[in-house]
Amino acid sequence: MLERPLPRWLAWATDPEQLRRVPFLARSPLFTGLPHRLLARLATRFFEKVYHPGEIVFEEGDPGRALFVVVEGSVEITRATAQGSYVLNTLGPGAAFGELALVDDFPRSATARVATTGRLLILYKSDFDALIDGNARIALVVMRNLSRLLAVYARRSPVLVTEPGPSPETAGPA
Amino acid sequence: MKPGRLLAWAGVAALVWLARGLVLPVFLAAALAYLLTPAVAWADALAIRRSVAVSALFTLIIAVLLAAGFLLGPGMLAETGALAERLPGLARQIDVGLDAVVRELAEAAPALRRLLPEGGSWVQRFVLDRGPAEPADLFEHAGHLFLLGILIPFFAFFLLRDMHRLIALVMDRLPPQHVETSVAVWRELNGVIGRYIRGLVLDGLVVAVLAALGLWALGVPYPLLLGAFAGLANVVPFVGPLLSATAAGLVVVLTPGQGLAGVGRVAVLFLVIKVLDDIIIQPFTIGRSVHLHPALLLGSVVVGSHALGVLGMIIAVPVATVLQETPRLLLEHRRVLARRDLRHRPERLVV
Repeated sequence: MLERPLPRWLAWATDPEQLRRVPFLARSPLFTGLPHRLLARLATRFFEKVYHPGEIVFEEGDPGRALFVVVEGSVEITRATAQGSYVLNTLGPGAAFGELALVDDFPRSATARVATTGRLLILYKSDFDALIDGNARIALVVMRNLSRLLAVYARRSPVLVTEPGPSPETAGPA
Repeated sequence: MKPGRLLAWAGVAALVWLARGLVLPVFLAAALAYLLTPAVAWADALAIRRSVAVSALFTLIIAVLLAAGFLLGPGMLAETGALAERLPGLARQIDVGLDAVVRELAEAAPALRRLLPEGGSWVQRFVLDRGPAEPADLFEHAGHLFLLGILIPFFAFFLLRDMHRLIALVMDRLPPQHVETSVAVWRELNGVIGRYIRGLVLDGLVVAVLAALGLWALGVPYPLLLGAFAGLANVVPFVGPLLSATAAGLVVVLTPGQGLAGVGRVAVLFLVIKVLDDIIIQPFTIGRSVHLHPALLLGSVVVGSHALGVLGMIIAVPVATVLQETPRLLLEHRRVLARRDLRHRPERLVV
């Protein structure tokens, strides 16, 4: 596998989209530390879609099936409370969200709404699972980065106080 | 529904009906595209433009096929020619044997006479009288095969080159909120079918090589031809291995000097290959991509055979998998949605 792009005389044969996508993903905190070779393989598994302001990417309670990375524009992560919708975070280019879908099949714990016109990269769990089947290192690096991100969220995010209620089987992740 | 939309759907349905003859080449092209997808994904990772990668891949395949034709073609052609020459004689020999068995049965148990088939020369009628009666029929069959040989790679080329654009188009047409779940179901099915088709072909290749080597070692005539048949037949669950073993057994029976011991050796060989296939080869090639119950597997093969013949038997498993997996994934989706209703929502936020 080549570590560098094709030579200049073969520039006509290169895919500009892939050339743009790999360094972009390398800057995303979720994929930091992945070697170029694995990042290139991962990049081919993403789909890209344009979203317009106000469009819902997913809603709280929806089944989580994919991870999203913001390429352009911004996305608001909100959560419904008794007091109304609460904006947990506003994400810009390079940020990933919905990453817990790669770990479990619990419903989404928040709603993602597009704030300004933008493009999102979408990685489906089944594609990610197929990729890590033959590349355990991808799983290792992504899960390590994910754990770090979750630790940061846990320390910085507001603590949700909930009333006692659901059994562990029915409760979603915070 | 608006009249305009209804008319558009009717037009699409009419077009599909008119193009029904393309179903088989498109299906086989899709299977070929699934087979070649890993090579294209590898080129994608190297940032090679899709059109360049697919063109280079097809050029390479043509080169490999030509090389294989030069290396294996003469042997296969010689075996096929020899078999074709011997076929009338072989059919007569088998018919004589079958006639004798039927006569013996009828004499031993007269009550069975009404149940036993009348007449004779069944194999001659079945094998030799099925060829095209007129030269025009022969040209029609050859033309059909030639057309398939052109259309399958043609469609596969464009499927490989443009599928990602088609997916992007579909994703843009879907309501944003449904993109995640709708496409996820398709991605899962796509993964299962892709792994199954690639595994099946690899499995068939391994079985073909094992059978050819085994038959050659046992001194059975036409090892290349019988090995290739074993590999091809292996794609049909249950029936395929039985058919290839029977074919090899028949060849042994009709080969002077092989006798019953030869049949026993061939039976043991195919039994060993089947056991190796089930225990070692399939877990590595097909893996657990298809989770069909054996009864459902057999049922799907029978239904496929009745509906579309040999092609139906080959496509039975992927079609049954899609029919089984789609409701499962949709039910899972509903289960998660139901879980949403049970979820506890926080009453207040504390920062």
